[in-house]
Amino acid sequence: MRGKWLYGAVGVVAALAAVAGLIVASTATARPTAAKASCGTVTLNEQAWTGSTANTYVAKYVLEKYLGCKVKVTDIAEIPVYQAMAQGKVSAVLEDWQHVAQYKQYATKQKTVTLEGSNGLTGHIGWFIPKYLLQKYPSFATWKGIKGHEKVFASPEAPQGMFLGGDPSYEQKDTQLIQALGLKLKHVTVGAETAEVARYSQLIAQRKPVIFYWWTPEYRNAELNLTEVKLPARMKGCEDDGTTNAPIAKYRCAYSSYPLEKVFSTKFVKSGSPAVAVLKRWAWPSNADQNLVSSWIAGQHMDPQKAAEKYVKSHMAVVNKWLGK
Amino acid sequence: MAASSIAARPGIVLEHRPWWRSRMTIVAAIVGAMVICHLTLSRTLSWPDSLVWHSLTHYLDNIQNWLAAESAKTDPNFAYRLIHWISSGLDALVRWLYHLLSSWLTWPGTTLLGGLLAWRFGGRRAAVIMVGSFASFAALGLWDDSMQTLALMLVAVALSLLVGVPLGIVAGRSDRFNGLITPVLDAMQIVPAFAYLMPVVIFFSVGPAAAVITTMVYSVPPAVRITALGIRSVPANTVEAALALGSTKRQLLWKVQLPLARRLLLLSVNQTILFALSMVVIAGLINTEGGLGAPVTNGLNSDPALAILAGVAIVVMAIALDRVTEAIAERTDTAKRHLDVAGRKRARLATGAVFLSIAVAAILGHLLSAGSAYTRWTAQDWLRTQVQNALDYVQKPTTFLFKDITNPVGNFLVAHMLQPLDTFLVETPWFITLAGLAAIAFVLSGLRPATTTILMFALIGAIGEWQDAMDTFSQVLVATAIAVAIGIVLGVLAAEIPWVSRAIRPVNDVLQTLPQLVYVIPFVYIFPISYVPGLIASVLYAFPVVVRLVERGVRDVAPETVEAAGAFGATRLQTLVKVKIPLARDAIMLGINQGIIMVLAVVVIAGLVGSGALGYAVAAGLQRGQFGIGVVASIAILAMGIALDRVTRGNRSAAKGGRS
Repeated sequence: MRGKWLYGAVGVVAALAAVAGLIVASTATARPTAAKASCGTVTLNEQAWTGSTANTYVAKYVLEKYLGCKVKVTDIAEIPVYQAMAQGKVSAVLEDWQHVAQYKQYATKQKTVTLEGSNGLTGHIGWFIPKYLLQKYPSFATWKGIKGHEKVFASPEAPQGMFLGGDPSYEQKDTQLIQALGLKLKHVTVGAETAEVARYSQLIAQRKPVIFYWWTPEYRNAELNLTEVKLPARMKGCEDDGTTNAPIAKYRCAYSSYPLEKVFSTKFVKSGSPAVAVLKRWAWPSNADQNLVSSWIAGQHMDPQKAAEKYVKSHMAVVNKWLGK
Repeated sequence: MAASSIAARPGIVLEHRPWWRSRMTIVAAIVGAMVICHLTLSRTLSWPDSLVWHSLTHYLDNIQNWLAAESAKTDPNFAYRLIHWISSGLDALVRWLYHLLSSWLTWPGTTLLGGLLAWRFGGRRAAVIMVGSFASFAALGLWDDSMQTLALMLVAVALSLLVGVPLGIVAGRSDRFNGLITPVLDAMQIVPAFAYLMPVVIFFSVGPAAAVITTMVYSVPPAVRITALGIRSVPANTVEAALALGSTKRQLLWKVQLPLARRLLLLSVNQTILFALSMVVIAGLINTEGGLGAPVTNGLNSDPALAILAGVAIVVMAIALDRVTEAIAERTDTAKRHLDVAGRKRARLATGAVFLSIAVAAILGHLLSAGSAYTRWTAQDWLRTQVQNALDYVQKPTTFLFKDITNPVGNFLVAHMLQPLDTFLVETPWFITLAGLAAIAFVLSGLRPATTTILMFALIGAIGEWQDAMDTFSQVLVATAIAVAIGIVLGVLAAEIPWVSRAIRPVNDVLQTLPQLVYVIPFVYIFPISYVPGLIASVLYAFPVVVRLVERGVRDVAPETVEAAGAFGATRLQTLVKVKIPLARDAIMLGINQGIIMVLAVVVIAGLVGSGALGYAVAAGLQRGQFGIGVVASIAILAMGIALDRVTRGNRSAAKGGRS
């Protein structure tokens, strides 16, 4: 019988200790958040490319340092994040590459997200080649010069000449464009952005010919010394989205350039947080600014928080404009 | 995949036929005929456009938009309110568990909790593994992300077992229910998560709940299948004896079937954990709470070394959870436990002491402000540099590895295996492909599977995916062939040689849980040909399952049969080749069959690293917001999976009839 008392005593002590632990825990965690209640929590979504990381962390640093906001960073995929913004679980996306169908569904119809204009960058998609190719084939500066020389881009999977396609998540029409231009290139889908980078950087490292779907702004372009192939000029009714099944002639033009959009959750806009006004003013002065921060993060593997701090400290004029000073 | 008859029973007389009438010869003849047709017709005849239902994607898009609009209404209907209630409950549960592990217990308390619980219920080895895994999270500098993922996975695994085991018990006892649920399970495993992420988000919003649901879709099927297999594997005469002694149905289940199915129930826990952890990255795409998936997705672009470290943390967690649950199950085995009164007292005292010391550690943690996440000293920077160096080596096209090994091998694979097969399947007139596949299904499995095969491939044509499907099909065939070959060899070796079995198990665990996107990226550099990295990813993901099933099958051959062979003077090799392998044929066939399912489960990832076709379409469907396109491509993958499953199922249904 004595044994049972012992277990009982141990149990009671354990329970008391646990309760004490919880009390200590709750007092320890409750304190720091109380002071900065005016801004509240802002949730920014980081997308899976380095430029987006740069946006998110620079904005985060500014909101936390100058407004006392609590900024949470999420990593939700590009399309589901619209639903998340509609429900107010994500406050803002700072760089959206023209998801027109989603604009229609969520901004126009449901009015659960709002389009807040450019983040200061101009996005442009195109066909890129490494500059060293122009030394041997100067005609490759335009698409016409490639015609008849497609075999230069031969690869194991495309002996007739390979066109390296882009990440499936990005807007593209290269299959149609190749057909419309009458080129004999084979469109090879290499997959995710990382895989595409791996493939072309491997070829560039060997100084081999390669032509691929790529875009600006992107911090790697300067480092790899890329140049864009000139495509036919834009015309009226020009199509950029290969999935719309438009007549093939409609695709016979270069990709458009467009501002990269900021998208906010309507619930966030109506929340009255001082962060709304700052994020509305937030925009990069130029593509070069984002490339700079991206190269610190991805090129030098700097911690994104530290990269943001470094940018903010060296660009106070820009930051003051965001803050409305 | 009627996961019914894994253990070959002695007494099945293998059919004896002359070689020219054997199934393999007939199949070869059919393939030969198809090749001749392909060569003589020399004209591409893809599925006719007039037989394609083009507006399907449009309808699917409309459905999704309607669902999204409904969920945005301020006054949602009952179904949405119910789902909302479930999702907030799950959100709260995961968040609470995370707070328990981080801010309440603090990191010393959590480590001690894990270590002591494992020690108390699983023994010393389990404790060492548990503490070792926590130490790795700390050393990798990923403590907080690991705790997020741990909380999520504990909930997902527990719920998967809670749902899966009862369903498995029912499926094990009722053939009709088993027949009903098997195609559902197939669909859950084959349909790529990318296709249903968006609907999940519409219903469950983003956050832990959506991540749990997405994970469960993939981790419930193994729980159901293996539990059912366990119940079925209880010998029929034991069941009869119990019934003859007057057991009720309930007594039969609790006193006979479940205890005897213990080992397989354990395997189901193990597989549920591994399957759940293989979903960390994808579930991370719709979770708001971070976790180990985020550094993988983001790191791939900006910091691949960090992505690899996060992948390692996922694997460590999977192996630790698996080994500890196994140890606990072994220790609590009622057949092995004979505690006297004093022993029980000691055990209870130990339990009390465990909780006491955890509480003390938690309080100390708070008093010394150790913090909720361990961040003091980590080896992360050092490890990242090492990994980055390795990656830099891999990326250099001038190394011996690249120039003399991987590049030529990759080129050979593409030029002599993938490319010809792809051309053959894409260019052969569709009706010849269809007829050939149906004939093969008929020879291997019978009339019904042949009909199913025709219907499934016709469906692929009708939804407009014929060309992409043939492209994917050729890659799936090559990947399956390689995976099955590796799997059978390793499986047989593991069954025969104990150290091979021991050595291969952690390898299997790693390959099943390391996010494919993590290990496939180095292959993109060293095999820079679009199909090859995807092919490697598929093979690496598929062969562990084949190994596991083949090993079990060969091992489970009745010992008396093996002894009898020995008594007749057969050498070890003869016993293996003439007795064990033929008798394990069912298990090997199941292995091939599961291998195909696993290869199909990687189609999307393969599509993301260059395999294109259906996988690419599914990924594009999610990421460009074209729900319809993604779903249609997923249906094609599923149809292909069902057809291949029926073709390789063999005559197992006939064998099943004799037993039940």
